[in-house]
Amino acid sequence: MSQAKVPVERWAAARVAANAPAHGLSGSAEYDDEVRDRAIFSAEAGLSFFHTHAEGLGLILFFASTVVASAVPWRRARGALYALLGLGALFPLGYLAYGLAVLEAGREAGTELAETWILTPLGGAAMLGLVGLALMLAVRRRGAR
Amino acid sequence: MVLIVCAEVGGASMVRFRVELTRWARGAMLARPAVHGLVGVRDVDERILDEALVKFDAGLRLFHLHAEGMGLVILATTTVAATLARGPRARRVIIFLLTAGGAGYPLGYLLWSGLIPYRGLEEGKAVAEWLVWIPFGGATIVALWWLAGLVALRLARR
Repeated sequence: MSQAKVPVERWAAARVAANAPAHGLSGSAEYDDEVRDRAIFSAEAGLSFFHTHAEGLGLILFFASTVVASAVPWRRARGALYALLGLGALFPLGYLAYGLAVLEAGREAGTELAETWILTPLGGAAMLGLVGLALMLAVRRRGAR
Repeated sequence: MVLIVCAEVGGASMVRFRVELTRWARGAMLARPAVHGLVGVRDVDERILDEALVKFDAGLRLFHLHAEGMGLVILATTTVAATLARGPRARRVIIFLLTAGGAGYPLGYLLWSGLIPYRGLEEGKAVAEWLVWIPFGGATIVALWWLAGLVALRLARR
Protein backbone atom coordinates (compact mmCIF):
# COMPACT_ATOMS: atom_id res chain seq x y z
CA MET A 1 0.00 0.00 0.00
CA SER A 2 2.79 2.42 0.83
CA GLN A 3 5.07 1.37 -2.03
CA ALA A 4 2.32 1.46 -4.64
CA LYS A 5 0.62 4.62 -3.37
CA VAL A 6 1.13 6.68 -6.55
CA PRO A 7 0.07 3.95 -9.04
CA VAL A 8 -2.94 3.12 -6.85
CA GLU A 9 -3.98 6.79 -6.78
CA ARG A 10 -3.54 7.01 -10.54
CA TRP A 11 -5.58 3.85 -11.10
CA ALA A 12 -8.29 5.05 -8.71
CA ALA A 13 -8.49 8.40 -10.53
CA ALA A 14 -8.87 6.52 -13.83
CA ARG A 15 -11.69 4.39 -12.37
CA VAL A 16 -13.50 7.51 -11.14
CA ALA A 17 -13.18 9.05 -14.59
CA ALA A 18 -14.42 5.81 -16.19
CA ASN A 19 -17.48 5.83 -13.89
CA ALA A 20 -18.23 9.53 -14.22
CA PRO A 21 -22.07 9.24 -13.98
CA ALA A 22 -21.86 7.19 -10.76
CA HIS A 23 -19.70 9.90 -9.19
CA GLY A 24 -21.83 12.74 -10.49
CA LEU A 25 -18.93 14.39 -12.33
CA SER A 26 -20.21 17.56 -13.92
CA GLY A 27 -17.43 18.58 -16.30
CA SER A 28 -16.48 21.53 -14.07
CA ALA A 29 -12.81 20.96 -13.22
CA GLU A 30 -12.98 22.47 -9.73
CA TYR A 31 -16.01 20.43 -8.64
CA ASP A 32 -14.81 17.23 -10.34
CA ASP A 33 -11.39 17.48 -8.68
CA GLU A 34 -13.02 17.64 -5.26
CA VAL A 35 -15.29 14.66 -6.00
CA ARG A 36 -12.34 12.67 -7.38
CA ASP A 37 -10.16 13.48 -4.35
CA ARG A 38 -12.88 12.37 -1.95
CA ALA A 39 -13.42 9.11 -3.85
CA ILE A 40 -9.67 8.38 -3.90
CA PHE A 41 -9.43 9.20 -0.20
CA SER A 42 -12.27 6.74 0.53
CA ALA A 43 -10.64 4.03 -1.59
CA GLU A 44 -7.33 4.53 0.25
CA ALA A 45 -9.17 4.46 3.58
CA GLY A 46 -10.66 1.11 2.49
CA LEU A 47 -7.17 -0.27 1.84
CA SER A 48 -5.89 1.09 5.12
CA PHE A 49 -8.85 -0.38 7.07
CA PHE A 50 -8.28 -3.71 5.31
CA HIS A 51 -4.68 -3.69 6.56
CA THR A 52 -5.49 -2.81 10.19
CA HIS A 53 -8.59 -5.02 10.49
CA ALA A 54 -6.95 -8.02 8.83
CA GLU A 55 -4.12 -7.82 11.36
CA GLY A 56 -6.34 -7.19 14.38
CA LEU A 57 -9.22 -9.48 13.58
CA GLY A 58 -6.87 -12.26 12.49
CA LEU A 59 -5.31 -12.30 15.95
CA ILE A 60 -8.65 -12.00 17.74
CA LEU A 61 -10.20 -14.89 15.86
CA PHE A 62 -7.03 -16.96 16.22
CA PHE A 63 -7.12 -16.54 20.00
CA ALA A 64 -10.90 -16.89 20.20
CA SER A 65 -10.86 -20.17 18.29
CA THR A 66 -8.06 -21.41 20.55
CA VAL A 67 -10.37 -20.69 23.49
CA VAL A 68 -13.21 -22.50 21.67
CA ALA A 69 -10.97 -25.53 21.14
CA SER A 70 -9.92 -25.67 24.78
CA ALA A 71 -13.00 -24.53 26.65
CA VAL A 72 -16.14 -25.58 24.72
CA PRO A 73 -16.77 -29.27 25.35
CA TRP A 74 -19.79 -29.70 23.05
CA ARG A 75 -18.85 -30.78 19.52
CA ARG A 76 -21.78 -29.18 17.71
CA ALA A 77 -21.44 -25.90 19.56
CA ARG A 78 -17.72 -25.90 18.75
CA GLY A 79 -18.49 -26.46 15.06
CA ALA A 80 -21.03 -23.61 15.01
CA LEU A 81 -18.61 -21.24 16.73
CA TYR A 82 -15.79 -22.17 14.32
CA ALA A 83 -18.14 -21.53 11.38
CA LEU A 84 -19.17 -18.11 12.73
CA LEU A 85 -15.61 -17.11 13.60
CA GLY A 86 -14.37 -18.40 10.24
CA LEU A 87 -16.96 -16.28 8.42
CA GLY A 88 -16.03 -13.34 10.62
CA ALA A 89 -12.40 -13.76 9.56
CA LEU A 90 -13.47 -12.66 6.08
CA PHE A 91 -14.75 -9.31 7.45
CA PRO A 92 -11.60 -7.33 6.52
CA LEU A 93 -12.11 -8.29 2.88
CA GLY A 94 -15.21 -6.11 3.08
CA TYR A 95 -12.93 -3.07 3.28
CA LEU A 96 -11.20 -4.12 0.05
CA ALA A 97 -14.64 -4.48 -1.53
CA TYR A 98 -15.57 -1.08 -0.07
CA GLY A 99 -12.52 0.54 -1.68
CA LEU A 100 -13.40 -0.98 -5.04
CA ALA A 101 -17.15 -0.34 -4.76
CA VAL A 102 -16.58 3.34 -3.95
CA LEU A 103 -14.63 3.73 -7.19
CA GLU A 104 -17.02 1.72 -9.33
CA ALA A 105 -20.42 2.71 -7.94
CA GLY A 106 -19.77 6.12 -6.37
CA ARG A 107 -19.12 7.04 -2.75
CA GLU A 108 -22.61 6.70 -1.28
CA ALA A 109 -23.75 3.70 -3.31
CA GLY A 110 -20.38 1.92 -2.89
CA THR A 111 -20.38 2.41 0.87
CA GLU A 112 -23.95 1.14 1.15
CA LEU A 113 -23.18 -1.85 -1.07
CA ALA A 114 -20.14 -2.93 0.97
CA GLU A 115 -21.87 -2.28 4.30
CA THR A 116 -25.08 -4.12 3.42
CA TRP A 117 -23.69 -7.17 1.66
CA ILE A 118 -20.27 -7.74 3.16
CA LEU A 119 -19.32 -5.75 6.25
CA THR A 120 -22.58 -6.14 8.19
CA PRO A 121 -23.15 -9.91 7.62
CA LEU A 122 -19.49 -10.88 8.14
CA GLY A 123 -19.02 -8.52 11.08
CA GLY A 124 -22.29 -9.84 12.48
CA ALA A 125 -20.99 -13.40 12.19
CA ALA A 126 -17.81 -12.45 14.07
CA MET A 127 -19.82 -10.75 16.80
CA LEU A 128 -22.26 -13.63 17.06
CA GLY A 129 -19.35 -16.07 17.34
CA LEU A 130 -17.70 -14.02 20.09
CA VAL A 131 -20.96 -13.53 22.00
CA GLY A 132 -21.67 -17.25 21.61
CA LEU A 133 -18.24 -18.09 22.98
CA ALA A 134 -18.72 -15.76 25.96
CA LEU A 135 -22.09 -17.42 26.66
CA MET A 136 -20.61 -20.92 26.38
CA LEU A 137 -17.87 -19.98 28.84
CA ALA A 138 -20.48 -18.62 31.25
CA VAL A 139 -22.65 -21.76 30.88
CA ARG A 140 -19.63 -24.00 31.42
CA ARG A 141 -18.56 -22.04 34.46
CA ARG A 142 -22.04 -22.28 35.96
CA GLY A 143 -22.10 -26.02 35.21
CA ALA A 144 -18.74 -26.51 36.93
CA ARG A 145 -19.97 -24.87 40.19
CA MET B 1 -14.04 -12.25 25.59
CA VAL B 2 -16.65 -9.77 26.82
CA LEU B 3 -14.21 -6.90 26.25
CA ILE B 4 -13.57 -8.05 22.67
CA VAL B 5 -17.32 -8.33 22.10
CA CYS B 6 -17.70 -4.74 23.43
CA ALA B 7 -14.93 -3.62 21.07
CA GLU B 8 -16.69 -5.16 18.09
CA VAL B 9 -20.09 -3.78 19.07
CA GLY B 10 -18.50 -0.37 19.70
CA GLY B 11 -16.81 -0.38 16.28
CA ALA B 12 -20.01 -1.37 14.51
CA SER B 13 -22.11 1.19 16.43
CA MET B 14 -19.55 3.90 15.67
CA VAL B 15 -20.05 3.33 11.94
CA ARG B 16 -23.81 2.73 12.11
CA PHE B 17 -24.66 5.73 14.32
CA ARG B 18 -21.90 8.07 13.17
CA VAL B 19 -24.24 10.87 12.08
CA GLU B 20 -26.45 10.61 15.17
CA LEU B 21 -23.45 10.61 17.51
CA THR B 22 -21.88 13.62 15.80
CA ARG B 23 -25.19 15.48 15.89
CA TRP B 24 -25.62 14.71 19.59
CA ALA B 25 -22.07 15.79 20.48
CA ARG B 26 -22.40 19.00 18.47
CA GLY B 27 -25.72 19.82 20.11
CA ALA B 28 -24.32 19.18 23.58
CA MET B 29 -21.31 21.41 22.85
CA LEU B 30 -23.43 24.23 21.45
CA ALA B 31 -25.50 24.08 24.64
CA ARG B 32 -22.30 24.74 26.69
CA PRO B 33 -20.51 27.59 24.91
CA ALA B 34 -18.53 28.63 27.99
CA VAL B 35 -17.01 25.16 28.44
CA HIS B 36 -15.69 25.13 24.86
CA GLY B 37 -14.75 28.78 24.58
CA LEU B 38 -17.33 29.47 21.87
CA VAL B 39 -17.55 33.20 21.18
CA GLY B 40 -20.56 33.40 18.88
CA VAL B 41 -18.48 34.12 15.75
CA ARG B 42 -19.23 31.36 13.27
CA ASP B 43 -15.72 31.19 11.74
CA VAL B 44 -14.05 30.82 15.14
CA ASP B 45 -16.70 28.54 16.68
CA GLU B 46 -16.79 26.12 13.76
CA ARG B 47 -13.05 25.54 14.05
CA ILE B 48 -13.35 24.83 17.79
CA LEU B 49 -16.34 22.53 17.28
CA ASP B 50 -14.58 20.66 14.45
CA GLU B 51 -11.53 20.04 16.62
CA ALA B 52 -13.66 18.79 19.50
CA LEU B 53 -15.67 16.54 17.18
CA VAL B 54 -12.48 15.05 15.71
CA LYS B 55 -11.30 14.26 19.26
CA PHE B 56 -14.75 12.88 20.16
CA ASP B 57 -14.56 10.55 17.16
CA ALA B 58 -10.92 9.69 17.97
CA GLY B 59 -11.95 8.67 21.51
CA LEU B 60 -14.52 6.24 20.13
CA ARG B 61 -12.01 4.82 17.65
CA LEU B 62 -9.38 4.45 20.36
CA PHE B 63 -11.89 2.60 22.53
CA HIS B 64 -12.54 0.17 19.65
CA LEU B 65 -8.81 -0.28 19.02
CA HIS B 66 -7.71 -0.60 22.64
CA ALA B 67 -10.59 -2.87 23.65
CA GLU B 68 -9.62 -5.29 20.86
CA GLY B 69 -5.92 -5.02 21.64
CA MET B 70 -6.26 -5.26 25.41
CA GLY B 71 -8.65 -8.19 25.01
CA LEU B 72 -5.86 -10.05 23.26
CA VAL B 73 -3.28 -8.89 25.80
CA ILE B 74 -5.49 -10.22 28.62
CA LEU B 75 -5.94 -13.58 26.88
CA ALA B 76 -2.23 -13.99 26.14
CA THR B 77 -0.83 -12.73 29.45
CA THR B 78 -3.30 -14.54 31.71
CA THR B 79 -2.49 -17.75 29.80
CA VAL B 80 1.19 -17.17 30.60
CA ALA B 81 0.35 -16.35 34.23
CA ALA B 82 -1.87 -19.45 34.58
CA THR B 83 0.92 -21.61 33.16
CA LEU B 84 4.05 -20.11 34.71
CA ALA B 85 3.14 -18.38 37.99
CA ARG B 86 3.54 -21.11 40.60
CA GLY B 87 2.19 -19.62 43.82
CA PRO B 88 -1.63 -19.79 43.77
CA ARG B 89 -2.02 -16.44 45.56
CA ALA B 90 0.41 -14.61 43.27
CA ARG B 91 -1.21 -16.24 40.24
CA ARG B 92 -4.65 -15.13 41.33
CA VAL B 93 -3.55 -11.55 42.01
CA ILE B 94 -1.68 -11.27 38.69
CA ILE B 95 -4.63 -12.66 36.73
CA PHE B 96 -6.99 -10.30 38.56
CA LEU B 97 -4.78 -7.25 37.89
CA LEU B 98 -4.32 -8.20 34.22
CA THR B 99 -8.03 -8.78 33.69
CA ALA B 100 -9.34 -5.78 35.63
CA GLY B 101 -6.64 -3.42 34.36
CA GLY B 102 -6.89 -4.57 30.75
CA ALA B 103 -10.69 -4.52 30.70
CA GLY B 104 -11.00 -1.18 32.45
CA TYR B 105 -8.35 0.79 30.57
CA PRO B 106 -10.14 1.03 27.18
CA LEU B 107 -13.28 2.32 28.93
CA GLY B 108 -11.28 5.49 29.62
CA TYR B 109 -11.51 6.36 25.94
CA LEU B 110 -15.30 5.98 26.01
CA LEU B 111 -15.43 8.14 29.13
CA TRP B 112 -13.19 10.76 27.50
CA SER B 113 -15.40 10.86 24.41
CA GLY B 114 -18.53 11.10 26.53
CA LEU B 115 -17.05 13.92 28.63
CA ILE B 116 -15.79 16.06 25.73
CA PRO B 117 -19.20 17.63 24.95
CA TYR B 118 -19.90 18.34 28.65
CA ARG B 119 -16.49 19.21 30.12
CA GLY B 120 -14.34 20.16 27.11
CA LEU B 121 -11.22 18.49 25.72
CA GLU B 122 -8.73 19.05 28.51
CA GLU B 123 -10.97 18.57 31.53
CA GLY B 124 -12.50 15.46 29.94
CA LYS B 125 -9.02 14.07 29.39
CA ALA B 126 -7.93 14.85 32.96
CA VAL B 127 -10.99 13.10 34.43
CA ALA B 128 -10.48 10.03 32.22
CA GLU B 129 -6.78 9.97 33.11
CA TRP B 130 -7.30 10.05 36.88
CA LEU B 131 -10.41 7.87 37.03
CA VAL B 132 -9.51 5.23 34.47
CA TRP B 133 -6.25 5.38 32.53
CA ILE B 134 -3.88 5.76 35.46
CA PRO B 135 -5.45 3.21 37.88
CA PHE B 136 -6.37 0.57 35.31
CA GLY B 137 -3.33 1.12 33.07
CA GLY B 138 -1.20 1.11 36.21
CA ALA B 139 -2.70 -2.22 37.34
CA THR B 140 -1.84 -3.74 33.95
CA ILE B 141 1.72 -2.38 34.05
CA VAL B 142 2.32 -3.63 37.59
CA ALA B 143 0.94 -7.07 36.71
CA LEU B 144 3.01 -7.30 33.52
CA TRP B 145 6.24 -6.40 35.33
CA TRP B 146 5.38 -8.82 38.13
CA LEU B 147 4.74 -11.57 35.58
CA ALA B 148 7.91 -10.71 33.66
CA GLY B 149 9.86 -10.87 36.94
CA LEU B 150 8.38 -14.26 37.80
CA VAL B 151 9.21 -15.64 34.35
CA ALA B 152 12.76 -14.24 34.54
CA LEU B 153 13.19 -15.75 38.01
CA ARG B 154 12.01 -19.11 36.76
CA LEU B 155 14.42 -18.97 33.83
CA ALA B 156 17.30 -17.96 36.10
CA ARG B 157 16.61 -20.92 38.44
CA ARG B 158 16.85 -23.45 35.62
